[in-house]
This record gives sequence, C-alpha cells and structure tokens, in this order.
Amino acid sequence: MMGRLLSRIPALLRAALVVVGIYLAATAIFSGLLGQPIPASLMTMYMFFVIVGVFMAFTFTEEGARAMAAPIRALVENPALRPVRNIVFLLVPLAAGAFTYTKMLPSLEAPVELRTIHPAPPSTFKAYGKRYDLLTLENPFRKYEKEDPERFRALVAEGGKIYIRNCQFCHGDKLNGRGPFAPALNPVPLNFQDVGTIAQLQESYLFWRIATGGPGLPEEAAPWISSMPVWQNFLKEDEIWKVILFLYDYTGHRPRAWEK
Amino acid sequence: MAARRFISPLWSCLAFTLAFGLSTLVLPVTTVQAEAGNAERGKLIYARRCALCHGEEGDGAGPGAERLNPPPRDFTEGQYKFKTTGFDDIVPNDADLFRMIRDGMPGTAMPGWGDMLSDQDIRDVIAFIKTFAGLEEEKPTIQVDYGRQVPSSPESIAKGRALFHEGDRCAECHGAEGRGDAIKKLKDDGGARTWPRNLTKPWTFRASNDPKDIFTRITVGIPGTQMPSFADPKSKKRLTIEERWHVANYVASLAKTDKVPRPENTVVKVMKVEGALPTAPDDPAWEKLPSTTFLLLPQLIAKTRFFTPSNDTITVRAAYNDTALAILLEWDDRTRSIPGDPKAEEIADPGMGEDMVAIQFPVAVPKGMKKPYFGMGDGAHPVNLWQWRSGTADKPQSVALANARGFARIESRDPASAGLTARGRYDKGRWRVVFTRPLAASSPDKDITFQTGQFIPIAFAAWDGSNGETGSKHTMTTWYWFLLEPDTGLRPLVSALIVAFLFGAAELWWARSAGARKPEGEA
Repeated sequence: MMGRLLSRIPALLRAALVVVGIYLAATAIFSGLLGQPIPASLMTMYMFFVIVGVFMAFTFTEEGARAMAAPIRALVENPALRPVRNIVFLLVPLAAGAFTYTKMLPSLEAPVELRTIHPAPPSTFKAYGKRYDLLTLENPFRKYEKEDPERFRALVAEGGKIYIRNCQFCHGDKLNGRGPFAPALNPVPLNFQDVGTIAQLQESYLFWRIATGGPGLPEEAAPWISSMPVWQNFLKEDEIWKVILFLYDYTGHRPRAWEK
Repeated sequence: MAARRFISPLWSCLAFTLAFGLSTLVLPVTTVQAEAGNAERGKLIYARRCALCHGEEGDGAGPGAERLNPPPRDFTEGQYKFKTTGFDDIVPNDADLFRMIRDGMPGTAMPGWGDMLSDQDIRDVIAFIKTFAGLEEEKPTIQVDYGRQVPSSPESIAKGRALFHEGDRCAECHGAEGRGDAIKKLKDDGGARTWPRNLTKPWTFRASNDPKDIFTRITVGIPGTQMPSFADPKSKKRLTIEERWHVANYVASLAKTDKVPRPENTVVKVMKVEGALPTAPDDPAWEKLPSTTFLLLPQLIAKTRFFTPSNDTITVRAAYNDTALAILLEWDDRTRSIPGDPKAEEIADPGMGEDMVAIQFPVAVPKGMKKPYFGMGDGAHPVNLWQWRSGTADKPQSVALANARGFARIESRDPASAGLTARGRYDKGRWRVVFTRPLAASSPDKDITFQTGQFIPIAFAAWDGSNGETGSKHTMTTWYWFLLEPDTGLRPLVSALIVAFLFGAAELWWARSAGARKPEGEA
C-alpha cells in the first residue's frame, strides 16, 4: 500500500524529499535533541555526500535513471509546460549569477581564533626566581582548615582583601567573571562560580596561572591575547596562596586533589 | 518598577538579571513594603557579600574602596543618591535600596545581586544597612510627585532642549552637547571627585535612562553631590512638573546609539576612497564612513597600574586611497588638558598631563594566529606605536612614533621618517584626532606595510591628562582587527554576468535541440 503510494510520486520529487528529510532529521536531532548544532561547513560537506548517494541510488538502474530524468525532459520537451519552462530557464541563470557574485566578494568576517582555556600545565615552572614542581606543589595554608580553623578563617579573610583590591576589576565582586572592566576583554575573565573552572583544577594549577599570568601560558592558549597580569610582579607568594583559599571558600568549590 | 528602556551589550548581564527579576517578582514595590527584613540575618549576608567594599562598619571604607571611583556608599551617613522620596526628605524608600542592590549600578563596581541573593536576603540586608545610620525606625514622609507623565514627542523634546540650555540650567555642568564637559571642578560632600554624567552614554546611567528615572533625578537631585533638585522652590532654576518631563524626554533623546560598543564588532573596516583622504578632524566626509566603537579599560598589566579611568570608549573610522591611509579616533573627554593653562589646571587633578591617544600595530602582520603580546609587543614580535599628544600652554600638539618589544624596550623614532602625521581638535567634550601614513613603509623592517584584504591586529590607548593619566596610567583596548577592504572593482559583477550567460546559452541550446526532436510518445 505504502509502496504503491510512494511509486506514484515522481522519482525526482522522491529523491528531493529524501534529501530534505535527511537534512531536517539531522538538524532536529543535533540542534533540537542534543543541543549541539552541526557547524554550517560540516553540514555542507555531509549534505554533499547525501546528495551524491541519493542520486546514485535512484539512478542505479536504467529504468530508475529514466524515471529521474522524466520530469526534467518533460519540462523541456512538452509544449504544454512551456510557460513553466520559460520561468525556470530565467531563474536558473539568475541564481547562478547571484551565487557567483556573492562567492567572488571578499569575506569580511574576522578570523576565528581557537585557544585552549585550561591548557595542560608544564611539570615545572619558574616564578619568584625559583623553580616549582607542579606535581608536589601544595597550598601551604590548606592544612590549617583542619588543624587551626580560626587561623584558616583569618587567612581566607586576608585573601578576600587581596582579591577585592586586585582581581575584582575583571573577575567581579561575585567571582562570576563579570567585573566592571570585563566587557572590554576578549578572552573573557574566568567565572570561578562555574563548575567547569576552579572546581576542576588543583590549587597548584591556580598558583601557576596566577603567578605567571597570560604571558606564562603555553602557545596553544594564545598567551599574546590573555590579559591576565603576571601576578608575581604585584603580589607576594603567600598572598597568591591566600587568594586561592578565598576563591574556593567564596564559591563553595573544593580544589581537586591527587587520588590517594 | 520601570523597565529599562535602553540596555547596552555592556550590561547584558544586568539585563539578564533584570529580566529574571521581572519574570519572577510579583510587584516588587508592594512586596518590599509588605514584608519586613531581618537585620540579624542581613548582618551575616552583609559580612560575606558587602563588607569588602562598604566596610565592616558600613563606612564605605572596606579594603576595596581605595581603588574605586565612584567610592562605595558610606551607610553611616544615611544619605542615598538614587531615591524616589522628596528632595527635602533624607529617608529613602526601601524599594529604592532594593532596586540598587538587585540590579546594581552601571558604570560602577556595584554589581546586581539579584542572581545571588533572594528577595528576602535583599530585604534583610536593607534592614541591616539602615541600622548604620539609625534609620531603622524612620519612615519617608514625602514622595516624588510625578503628576501626569508627558510622553516623549518632538515638541516635548524641543521644549526640554530649551529648558536644558536656558540660563545654562543643565548645560553648565552637563555641557552644550550633554557630554558632561564640566567647566568647574565638582566634588561630593565627602570631598571625592565627581563627574557630571555624559548624557549621550545612557549605559553609564546609574539608575537607567527611562524618562521616569531621569524625571526622578531632576526632581530629587543626587543627594550629597552638586546635582541639585529642580523642584526646590528656593532654586532660581526650578522647573514645574511638566517642564521636568520635557527635560527628561530631551535627556533620554540624547542617547548616541551609534556609539554603543558591541562585542560582535571587532573589525575596523577601512574603505577605499577616490582622490584625497579626509585629513581634517571635522571633515564631513568622515560621517559617511562606517564607525566602530571599542570599550577602554584601565591599564592593569604593567607597573604602575591604573584603576580609576574617566574615558570609557573610543570610536574609530578609517579610509585609504592609492597611496595612504587616514584614521579618525573620536572619544568623549570631559576636560581639555593643557598643562600650564590656569583654567585647565583649575579643573584638573594635580599633576595634569597632556591628553593623548595611541594606536598599536604589529611591525610584521602575523601569518598565522600568533600575534605580538597585546601589551606593547614582546621580544620576538615588535609593535609600532603611533601617539598623538594634545600640547601644553607653550607647546603645540605633536605626534610621536616608537617601536616596542615589551614595556621596557621602547625605541623612540622620528615620525617624519615614516611619514606619520596626526592632528586633533577638541570641541564640546570630544576629541577628534586624525592620523595619516603612507600605505607602504619607508623602512619595512621597522614599520608596518598596509595591504588590502589583510586582517591586521590593532589596539588603542588613551590618556585623560586631567584625571592623573600619564605614563603607564591610562586606558587601553586589547587586540582588534583592521581591514583595508579590498577594491574588487568590477570582477564579481563581470564574472556573475558571464556565468549567467553561459547557463542561459546552455538552456537555449538544450531547448532548441529538444524542439528539433519530437517529444517522446508523439513520434
């Protein structure tokens, strides 16, 4: 029954329906259900293969090929369809011309700059005139959280003072990366409240990122555009560790630790 | 609550907060007054969220305060700038405080807390901060009388404009064009420097530029500052309710929406012109060229850092011809800084320097992604710095050229050797400066060569000499793009015509050959 119905639709229209159906299904699944749209360039490539595949399937037999070509031949050869033919024959050159024109115009879109936001850290790095080993580096104040909670609270409070005097301009009072000057920056300042930032990192990683700043990033993280200052020029070593305590305390995140 | 009429991308986060607030709050004004806040709970929230700037004692002297302008509010005085109670009633409405805390204050370090604190949290904080000035039992007695709102119309705006300028009522401080170009030095009651609002930049209005909010400011004034009440019967400049609506409509109309910085605008498009380039700052030809506006932020990466800028945006236009290019930089600056000029010295902060502006280009246009460090380049990637200086009482304006490989390695060069020129003009709170240079570099190893169709990194810096901005204390941008639009000439059009002709010819041939045969089935 279904097959009978389908066979009444002209082959060319059927082929077109299959192509459109695949396109709509892919869009619906990736943009709608998965929430991850396929980039336009990738989609163009996929659809190219889909169209070639469909064309090959429909013209596999001689009969199939003739059925596909029939409506086009009819358009050209059937005198009754002449008005339709004239319109199609006018539109096709116009569309081809317009396509050529837009393709010939130079693209004025800014180049896309891809960069790694949390690049892999080096095993060691230099700051304050000495070398740090990231595998063994620990926050010297973290132990007071258990040993001396009162002292720990005081250290967090000191970290807060350092933060508000140095970091809030970009990372914000609320630690959400939206400080008063953040809108002028690209790449944007990190949002520490987000579960994808400091909650995923070790305190030693934060120390490395803060002490050496943008210029201390590896090449894949585009150090030339990061506006993170080199904080070893402005803060003492223990001040950075106190700020790190404050970042975790204010956001309620826990630093990541090595599995024991 | 009046909805914000104008929301710049700068405050998109705020807009989100506001939209969220509006959708979840049922008439905040009534709920605020209906439910009392708990000062004890508020004290805990205050200590965690507010004390770092406003101080544990509520005196506005927290550890963050020193580097903030405007300074955080001192709650011990019990005086609030943005309120809807009468000018002669010091007590604000709780709804006024609620709004400031929930939505924040654009152009200041005060963020909107609506996404982090619940309505009840905010009411608790309000109950607590009122205890700093013993306001907890005080109730406001006089409310702003809005009369009947006059809707904005060309007639109302024209009336407002006349009242704005009449006897320099508003123009005295806000400037003839509304750019806040003060002719006197303004201070608040605490002695801190204050700047009249630049009325053409509504995204910097602390409490929105909805005409109703502007009406409130005109009626109440801004307590503790030199912005007076224009409803005060003792004032010689007082206005009736209807007149205040006209002025509010006029002020709202000053918004320069074409100079709003937009995050998606990252490219300065440089247009080809035939014949001579516009080289005068006020050449009308500039208006026909597309403009791009960038946000400025203070310099925070090199010693000495700078935290309290006055310039916040810079607008760029550019054009080129067969041999040279011209770049117009335009930015609002409330003060013309002329060291040695007594009048300028009077308005400026001590140690006034010249007003300056600079453009940074890489010496070699990068082939791949890698650019010079945005802060004056690096050892392997030098930058060209073109700087214009506004001059002093005894020295005319000038242009300087330097090559830098980082903050410490700067080599001054003769601008004439590269053919670099710059001319600036100050008018009613705005600088306009035109730089020109030949497209080709006279020494290609030291100067950038401009080629069409290339995305060239570009960055900017500006100094307001009256705001203590000299040396490394200035505002700046990060890298953006500079693109000389390629002159494609007629090529695309000719190619399109050829393709269309070929398609048409093929169709005709096909149709003719089909006509020669008999259609199938008829044979």
